[in-house]
This record gives sequence, C-alpha cells and structure tokens, in this order.
Amino acid sequence: MALEVSHVVGGYSQIPVLKDISFDVKDGELVGLIGLNGAGKSTTINHVIGLLTPHQGTITLNGVTIDQDSQAYKQQIAYIPETPVLYQELTLREHLEVTMMAYDLDHEKAWTTAHKLLKTFRLDNKLDWFPANFSKGMKQKVMIVCAFLTPAKLFIIDEPFLGLDPLAVNDLLTLIEERKRQGASILMSTHVLDTAQRYCDRFVLLHDGQVKTEGTLSELQAALPEAGESLNDIYLSMTKVDRS
Amino acid sequence: MTGLFKTRLQRHLREMAKYLRLVFNDFFVFALLFFLGGLGLGYSNVLKQLRGHEWWAPLVALLVLTIVAQIGRLATLIEDADRVFLLPKERAMHAYLIAARRYSQVIAQATQVIAIFLLSPFLAVTLGWSVTPVLFLLVAQVVLKDTLLRLDLASAYQVTGQGRMNRWPIKWGLSLIILACGLWITPIVAVILAIVADVAVVVWFQQHWQTQQIRWREQIKIEDNRMLGIYRFFNMFTEVPMLSGTIKRRRYLDGIFHLIKPTHEQTYLYLFSRGMARGTEFSGLIVRLTVIGMLLLYFIRGKWLPVILAALFIYLIGFQLLPFFHQYDDIVFTHVYPVAAVQRLKSFVTLMTLILSVTAVLLWLVVVFANQQLLPAVVTLIVEALEVWYLARIYTPQRLKRSAENRA
Repeated sequence: MALEVSHVVGGYSQIPVLKDISFDVKDGELVGLIGLNGAGKSTTINHVIGLLTPHQGTITLNGVTIDQDSQAYKQQIAYIPETPVLYQELTLREHLEVTMMAYDLDHEKAWTTAHKLLKTFRLDNKLDWFPANFSKGMKQKVMIVCAFLTPAKLFIIDEPFLGLDPLAVNDLLTLIEERKRQGASILMSTHVLDTAQRYCDRFVLLHDGQVKTEGTLSELQAALPEAGESLNDIYLSMTKVDRS
Repeated sequence: MTGLFKTRLQRHLREMAKYLRLVFNDFFVFALLFFLGGLGLGYSNVLKQLRGHEWWAPLVALLVLTIVAQIGRLATLIEDADRVFLLPKERAMHAYLIAARRYSQVIAQATQVIAIFLLSPFLAVTLGWSVTPVLFLLVAQVVLKDTLLRLDLASAYQVTGQGRMNRWPIKWGLSLIILACGLWITPIVAVILAIVADVAVVVWFQQHWQTQQIRWREQIKIEDNRMLGIYRFFNMFTEVPMLSGTIKRRRYLDGIFHLIKPTHEQTYLYLFSRGMARGTEFSGLIVRLTVIGMLLLYFIRGKWLPVILAALFIYLIGFQLLPFFHQYDDIVFTHVYPVAAVQRLKSFVTLMTLILSVTAVLLWLVVVFANQQLLPAVVTLIVEALEVWYLARIYTPQRLKRSAENRA
C-alpha cells in the first residue's frame, strides 16, 4: 500500500472542503482523481503533498506520515502542478540541478536520465534559457522533466493533459507506464475522462468534498448499471443525481 | 473611445498624485529648493564668466535642445487586456490614440518651454539673441516636439511594414537638422522646416491609418516600459507594489555561482544566490546602498563618524535583505522539496554573511583610503566584523524563526 488517505477532513480555512475522504493508491497503480471544478481534487492533492494539514484523519505514504518524518515523506513524492510553477531567476539547466540537489540524487546518473527526458520533450536545446519565458505547454514539459528526474515512489500529477501537444501527452503516458512497471504509484487528477478511462487502473470519483465512489471501471459499471458504459456517462449520471 | 481614455487618464492622474504626494514630502521639497537654488547660482556664475561669441555655444545649445526634444513620450495608457477586448474596436482606437497624443503634449511641451526659457539667458549672452529669435526658436522647438509625438503615434500603426517611423536615428536626426538650422542660420528657417516636417507627417498619417493595423503587442510593451520607468522613479522614495523587478541573466557571475558545490545541503544557497543576484530588486538595493555608503564615507573624516556610518550602512543593508528569505514561499516546490527547513535557514545565513562581508570590506577600504590613519581603520574593521557576525549569524536566524512561528 503506497499511499493511504484515511478519513481526512480538511481545507484551506476552518471550513472543511473535504468531508471525510478515504482512498488508497497501491504500488504500481495509476489512480485517477475525477471530479468537477471545486469538487476538492486540488485540495486533496495539497493535503497529500503536505501543503495543507488535515483537521482530522491521516495520510500515510509507505508507512510514514509527514508528522513522523517530513523529509522521508517528501523524499518519496514528485509533484507536477496544474499551472507550471517556476523559479523566475533560474535557467532550465539550473531547475534540473536544483531538483537533483533537493532530492540528493547522483548528478551523473540524474543527468543521463535528464538528457533522455529533455530529448523526448524536445527541450534539449533550451538548457540555458529561462523557462519562465516559455509557452504554457513548454513550461509544463519542464515540470514533467523535473518530476520524472527523481526516483519518486509516488507521482502526483494535477491535470496533465491540458496545454500539452498530442505528442507530449503520448510521451507522458509512456513515461507513466514505465514508472508503473518499476513499481511507482501515480495519483492523477483530470477532466479528460476518455484518456483517464483508457489509462487509469482505478478511479476515485470526488463530488462536493466527498468520495462518491471508487473502483475499477468494471466495478463502477457494476455499481451503476443503468448509467452507461463509459466513465463519462457514469460520472455525468452521478453528478446529475445531485443536481436534480 | 475618448471617454475610455478620459476614464483611464483620471485613474492614472489619481495614482500619480498619490505617489507625488509621497515623493514631495516636506523634507524633499526643502532639499530640492536648496538644490535648485545652488544650481541657479552656479548657472548665473557661469554666465558671468562668458564673454560672448564663444564658438562652442551653439553646439551646447544644440545638444541640450536635441536631448530635451526627446523628453516626453507618448503616453497611451494601453493595457495588456486591450489586445483582447479592444481588438474588435481597432478603427475606433484612433480617437483614443489621438486623445492620448493630446494629453502627452501637455507635459512634453511644458518641458520644451521651460528648457528654452532656462536656455534664453545663455543664448542672449553668448549669441547676443534678443527676445524675437528666442521666441522663434521656441516655436520651432514646440512644433518639432509635436512632429516627434506624431511620429510616435504613426508608429503605433503598421504603416510602413516592419519599419518604424520613430526609430531613434530618425528622431535625433530630424531634431539635429532643424535645430542646427535654427542656431547657425536663423530661427525662422527652423520654424519653417519644423512646420514642413509636421505637416508632412500629418498628411502622410491621414492617408494611411484607416488601412493599417495597430501594433498591439509593441504598444503594450512600450506603455509597460514607460510605466515601469515612472514606478522605478517613485520606488526611490517609497514602496511601489507594481514593481517586482526584472530578471537579468548576468552571465559574468556564473564563475562565482560555480563555487557553490551542487550538494543536497547547498540546495537553497544555489537558489538564493542566483535569485538574489539576477533579480534586480534586491541586488539593486545592495549596490545602491553600498555605493551611497562608499561615497559618503569618502567625504567624511573623523574618529567615530566613519565607524558609525559604516556600521549604519551594513545594518541598513542587512535589515532590508531579510524579506528575501520568503521570496520563494509562493512557489510550491519550496514546500514539496525534501529539504529540511533548517537547511534553508542555514543557506540564507551563509548568503547574508557573504553579502554583508563584501559590503563591509568595500566600506572599510574607503574608510582606510579617506582617512589614511591606523586607528579609524582598525576600529572600523573590528566593529564591522562584530556587526556582520551578529547580524547574520545571531539576529537573522532568531528573527526569521520568530516570523515563521507567527506565520504558522
């Protein structure tokens, strides 16, 4: 069990956004976090990466909570934010180096990985540029390269598909596949349901700060037989109940 | 569209008034009066020494007037969002831009009039000009400035493809030719030339603007730069929230950065040092204060005054650097990276020690050079060393720990 979120109540202020959330991500598993705008996806992710502290409940990552040993907890996580976040004053090369230093990686080995990733995402000739001036898609690629540079056990990817070109989306999915085979877990939030349906092993459907349901696609289909075949149909039918 | 400009102008003027009130505080006005008084006195003394018919006098006048003619830019008050929201109104923007040009005239022409007024005694003494030629020169100067502003406006449109009508060789060349004719031949020639140029630009622009697109991106950039210049000026006197500083690559510093070993412990030293040096906000502050301190110390002699001043400047710099610790708090990776908070603080203390030590040494060298005595040199060195040690190693960590607790 890589990531275990159990009975988490939390949010940005005293008013909880998340109301008793529980789910898990196993080793080598890709879990899709699905929900409407404001359903609590980003809040959940912020709790997992340690930006927010839960009011109640615990989040454990391979047996460690952030309170027990924050360094050991953070060492296992690589995070790709929804909006690219960059250091204005650092070049692309320096972003990679800071990542290597922060995660205490062996520089020679890390650079081998880095060069491969840079080539894949066609950034290899931009090492001395300031990524802060890149286009949104390219900034996102920088985030991807920085994250996949680390040997993290859990990758947290917030809405990866918007802004990336089709080639990059494909490359990202291949990367995710590869890390999964090596035993890493991935928690990914997205609105792009048909891609999620094809690649995720399991789904956690968030609605209004609660886990509506979770499971594999066939489990979801079995639970809601009249909803329809696709993830899209299931999700729409689930939110409709709430609207009427 | 003129309405839009009026609304924006009102907002702009309100903002400027707010800052001007802060700039022209009692102390500053007092200092400024003294400064202007001194300058006026100096100018009148220089004039008294002139005998008339100096060969270089027209050259000086030409240089001054050409530079003054470039003062006063086209203030369009265009905003970034305009290229989305006003794009469908492109033709109507013409009225807006005309209004902008009219407003820009006020400050620009006032500057020209004041410059000619200030220069008139000089012209009278050296060239023996009476009131009439000075007035003609004034007319020429004002019409010339009008032409230059019209060129700026015309360049807002893609009138001549990629070429701009307001490139600096054109503006400076035009000013030099017209003013040189005025100074060496007769001012009336300058007036005629200026009017010809002005009319030519007007006619040519009238024929072309309806079929041309506005260079939105460029105009937005120009206006942003203009506002940035104004904010920079205000920033010398007060805090300007709009000013976040710019980033410079500063490749020549790479050699120094390479001294920082890329190990886990140094993560934040790596980040902080580059951020501090490449961002203009904090590096500018350090350089400014150090240079001012060095200048002051050069002119000040005495037993204790240099010591106190050197200590004061180190304190000022050190104190103002503290907020930099939180520079990257908004960046999520500062919290996600598996680097202990203690390491971050340690790196900051190291950086602080380095910067303050360099400043201390520079100030000390000036003290030694200015006084050339053993006692002040030794005392300053000891006081500075103690201060840097206390400020960086003891005060900074304590203070930042306290502020971190307050934030939590």
